[in-house]
Amino acid sequence: MTKSREDHDAGRRRFLKGMGIAGAGAAIADHLWTEVEAEEATATPETLSGSVKVVLDVNGKQREAQVEPRTTLLNTLRNHLDPAVTGPKLVCDVGTCGACTVLLDGKPVYSCLVLAVDATNKKITTVEGLGTPENPNAVQAAFVEQDALMCGFCTPGFVTTISAYLKKNPNPSLAEVKEACKGNFCRCGTYPRVFDAALAAAKSTGA
Amino acid sequence: MKAFEWSNPANINEAVKMLLPSTGDVDESPRPIAGGQDLLTTMKDYTSRPVRLVNLKNIRGLNSITLNAKGLTIGALVTLSELEEHAGVRKSFPGLAEAAHSIATPQIRNLGTVGGNLCQRPRCWYFRLEEVICLKKGGSECYAASGENKYNAIIGGGPSYIVHPSDLAPMLVALGATVNVTGAAGKRVIPLDKFFTLPSEGNIRRENVLKNDDIITQINVPASALAAKSTYLKFKERESLDFALASAAVALRMGPNEAVREARIVLGGVAPIPWRVPAAEKFLVGKKLTPDVLAETAKIALTEAKPLEKNAYKVPLTQTLVRRALAKAASV
Amino acid sequence: MQQQPQAQPTPKPKKKVRVPRVVNGVEQMVEIEVDDEAGPGWGPNDKHKLLNKRQTRVDGPLKATGVARYTYDQRLPGMLVARILRSPHAHARITKIDTDAAAKIPGVKAIIPAPLSEVRFAGAPVAAVAATTPEIAGDALRAIKVTYEVLPHVVHAHAAIRPDAPKVVEKEENLKEAGKNGDPQKAEAAFANADEIVEGEYITARIHHACLETHGMVVDYRGGDTATIYASTQGTFTIHGDAAKELGLTESAVTTTVEHMGGGFGSKFGLGLEGMLACRLSKQTKTPVKLMFTRYDEFVMAGNRSGSWQKLKAGVKKDGTIIALQARQYRLGGLGPGSQAGQPFIYRMGDTYREVYALHTNEDSSVAMRAPGFPQASFAVESLVDELAYKIKMDPVEFRIKNLRDEVYHRQLRRGAQEIGWSRRNPVAGGNAGPFKRGMGCAVGAWGGAGNDQCKVDVTISRDGSIVVAVGTQDLGTGTRTYTRAIVAEELGLTIKDVQERIGNSKLGNANPSGGSTTAPSLAPSVKDAAIKARMMMAERVAPLLGNPKPEEVVFADGKVSANGKSMSWQQALAALPAGGITSHGVWRTDLQSRGVHGVCFAEVEVDVETGHVKPIKMVHIQDGGLPLNRLTMESQINGGMIQSLGMALWEGRVMDAHLGMQLNPGFGDYKLPGSLEMPEMVPIIDDDDKREAVIGIAEGCIIPALGALVNAVFNATGVRVRETPVTPDKILMGLMNPNVLSRG
Repeated sequence: MTKSREDHDAGRRRFLKGMGIAGAGAAIADHLWTEVEAEEATATPETLSGSVKVVLDVNGKQREAQVEPRTTLLNTLRNHLDPAVTGPKLVCDVGTCGACTVLLDGKPVYSCLVLAVDATNKKITTVEGLGTPENPNAVQAAFVEQDALMCGFCTPGFVTTISAYLKKNPNPSLAEVKEACKGNFCRCGTYPRVFDAALAAAKSTGA
Repeated sequence: MKAFEWSNPANINEAVKMLLPSTGDVDESPRPIAGGQDLLTTMKDYTSRPVRLVNLKNIRGLNSITLNAKGLTIGALVTLSELEEHAGVRKSFPGLAEAAHSIATPQIRNLGTVGGNLCQRPRCWYFRLEEVICLKKGGSECYAASGENKYNAIIGGGPSYIVHPSDLAPMLVALGATVNVTGAAGKRVIPLDKFFTLPSEGNIRRENVLKNDDIITQINVPASALAAKSTYLKFKERESLDFALASAAVALRMGPNEAVREARIVLGGVAPIPWRVPAAEKFLVGKKLTPDVLAETAKIALTEAKPLEKNAYKVPLTQTLVRRALAKAASV
Repeated sequence: MQQQPQAQPTPKPKKKVRVPRVVNGVEQMVEIEVDDEAGPGWGPNDKHKLLNKRQTRVDGPLKATGVARYTYDQRLPGMLVARILRSPHAHARITKIDTDAAAKIPGVKAIIPAPLSEVRFAGAPVAAVAATTPEIAGDALRAIKVTYEVLPHVVHAHAAIRPDAPKVVEKEENLKEAGKNGDPQKAEAAFANADEIVEGEYITARIHHACLETHGMVVDYRGGDTATIYASTQGTFTIHGDAAKELGLTESAVTTTVEHMGGGFGSKFGLGLEGMLACRLSKQTKTPVKLMFTRYDEFVMAGNRSGSWQKLKAGVKKDGTIIALQARQYRLGGLGPGSQAGQPFIYRMGDTYREVYALHTNEDSSVAMRAPGFPQASFAVESLVDELAYKIKMDPVEFRIKNLRDEVYHRQLRRGAQEIGWSRRNPVAGGNAGPFKRGMGCAVGAWGGAGNDQCKVDVTISRDGSIVVAVGTQDLGTGTRTYTRAIVAEELGLTIKDVQERIGNSKLGNANPSGGSTTAPSLAPSVKDAAIKARMMMAERVAPLLGNPKPEEVVFADGKVSANGKSMSWQQALAALPAGGITSHGVWRTDLQSRGVHGVCFAEVEVDVETGHVKPIKMVHIQDGGLPLNRLTMESQINGGMIQSLGMALWEGRVMDAHLGMQLNPGFGDYKLPGSLEMPEMVPIIDDDDKREAVIGIAEGCIIPALGALVNAVFNATGVRVRETPVTPDKILMGLMNPNVLSRG
């Protein structure tokens, strides 16, 4: 499969170290190219087509799936893992609604705009990985308490986005919460209570 | 999405080679993929149907931001969130951080890259509908010209009336940025104001000078007093998530007595390319930014506007943005 | 407990009542016969233990953790995925469908034609494919070659009304009269006595339900004698009948389930074309088939809210009395008849005359959407009323009070004015200084909200303590599960956790489809009836242990059962049950529900007059609804009504291309739902001055007035009267630039 992120980063660190970080600033692309080409000119590009096996790290577990290069991460989670991971929802399928939000190495992304072949060796966290009905995380508990959901179809996306945001900013203002979840859309009209839940969750974690 | 081959080159030359084999239709040629946040949407609506995606993310050295006295270099794979959150960028290139922040949503910015943002395809709804084969898809008509053209170009249009969707582009043009490109023919550096092409000049199927095997590797922004006094104002119909109905990227260098020594004004969302307005820039030189001067500058900036049936509102809207952006940049 | 119950059923007197029944989402009044007697009531609204309190919803933890399983989440062994091929033409005859190439694609299992040979809107289904993955199904769609004979089309109302316009349906007129009301001569004559006259054309865009879970179902048929359908529906019982016909099974052999569903708003009733195609594909392949609309499908095929075009003329006296109205109302329902409440809506306007027409275009038929036809009528009349008030320089709140008969509105309007801070409002439209101008507006709304007798509820209490309330109804996100439990728990003196609900299955007791705000007023009385009966059955069993009180004298409270000064725990009482437990059967009782809800909305906005941007600042909605079953979820629903109305007011609208005949914005990028940054401060207020001890549906009521309130606030802020929704920046800027194009005050 794809080169692991670790290898990639390690390589980059080594390279930068060799260059001297202080001097790396001025030395723009040409220097980088020379180095990189010298190092890797002999490598053969990996090419995948047809049916391919991917191994995904989903909620801390290694999960295998047989997909095509065009299969999105969202579709893989929902339809190619067994048991399925159906918390992330397919709603707009073009990165405009947020219902499919998952965390990729801790950052919220739209899983409908990520290919499964491009998500290997990354940590994928879905709403299921954040908490359970018996043991919800602070955001999930606050969503219930504040009635921040109606039909609930947008809820996994909101919960995932806000859970990641509170790690980044544990004590947000209302305006910051709105900004953080502007990539998640709801149709029933739960927004005011989503904001309340995010602020309540921030408070409850004692941030 | 049409089925494609996924390739993972480890260096830029391999990547270029993987992009070379080209099929008949330009929209079926191999494409490089970085964040994929625009490319995958065009593939989902079959606007593009590449036979191969060439993943750039395993190529080393394309994902860092460096800042020194000469200026800023941004690897093409730097994400929009990395750019907007970079302390040095925020301090010395505030307009660029603002432009990055104005893009789409946090989720998109976590994956979308700077290189990809410059290479976005148009958002014109005719272009994006699979069933509609417009001028930009090899058809014979720009349906927006006489159709629902509320969001289309008021300047520089014809025969296609798309607007360029990038928010970084107007700001980077204002800041005099260049891009490093590698292709089968070698490496070259392209000033960004020569990068984008009007439908009447370049290949109507594309929005820039890149050939199919070209890859943007880096964006270079020279350090300058202009950069420190830069701002980007974007108007969205829906604040949460929208492309610019109009935007203004402005950078100023001030002289003595609060007079303008040099100005850059580039309009976004109103033309098929980031639209620089030299006449307005020139008008400002030596003047204080009084309300009258701002109004006159805004007027000059839009003198070339030839609105279509449903987008005349973009003229006063863009004038407002120009005025406000100039006032804001001056106060930075 | 509360009032005296009936101990034993005896022959009961009957009475006839008119109740709303929902057919395809639209209320129809029917006469039914019900028992003519009042049983134990709800009691005073402020005396409840669980109802009229803030209960978190019982399915909240499942939904917040991603565990709740929706129709779209169903995945069965071997299941195929189906996709629909849409017509790119707005009007065409299908002359040939060549599926040879598509059928050869590995993974494609079935291709069937849609039942239509002539398509009358772009996006109409032409064929359907079942394949092993959605990607392969997509490949197959693009490999099908369809030959069309293209016919002329018309998609814009102003073009469709022209005498020479292409006919939407051959040999039929595009314009069809749908009713007249009032005396045209009298209305015309009345204008002579008016001090001021306002005349305007008001247009609302067609908008989309945009349910986050698209329409569709999973048909689990494997060639046997039975089938199960997992549906995203507002009517558990609206599917299996037609599905059975398609599958060639008996009706009772088909079970529909709807555990959780992702929004309907009036658009999800019946098997639908998608369900029909899914059944046919499943029948042909003898394999489970999942057919969920893509987002594009959803926009062009799943229905929409009827657009409207209303020409109104009204006359007013200087003292604020509206004395005359002429209305010409066009319902813009595409191929369908559309919907629009008759003018002058809820106002008293003296001599009124209206003509209503359906004006057809080559677009898919509109379907019911939350308060069908009402927001459209409300927008027009509330704009008109506002214009009249400004014309005679009367405060719009006082002007409304003067022309509204029902005093509930007077009370609500005064309260709303206080909540929003109406006294801060500048009475001069556009009169505030600077480019960022604040403004306020208000509007009122009405709905029925009565129930009907379609719900049959069972409450079973087992000796092990399990209490199950079972009925086939569906929870659309309104909180049905939660209040169903709460009613039973309160009746038995227990907590919500002590009761389990079973819903969303057509093998359970019948239930009405959820449309027209009829769910709560139909279901809650039936649940209450079942709960009372269960309580009486328990009371009879435990009476010997409590000194033989009459069953109605046994008190169930705080987890205890008591009478005659004796008390036992619920656990002890359970021991008195027979081995099989007890099951009561509840039916609807007309005296436990009522009809008629009122709402007012006040909105404050800030308009940037140099860009046309409208920023909603604050919205207040006051809603009555008899007995609030759950204050928390009711407030959420009021918020939802305001937000959906806000979307209609400022951003949402289908855009059609005249030449291509296609929708240009069939996705969430260009069809702009409001998001987090569009949200104002929102104040949902339950009108507790309504003392009716009866359940009344409020879902429709709270979506109606906000649209008018917002548009009126934009006028107050800017002096620009935009008479066409959505009120987007281009319209405001053009209005400011060309005062003649739009009316200015």
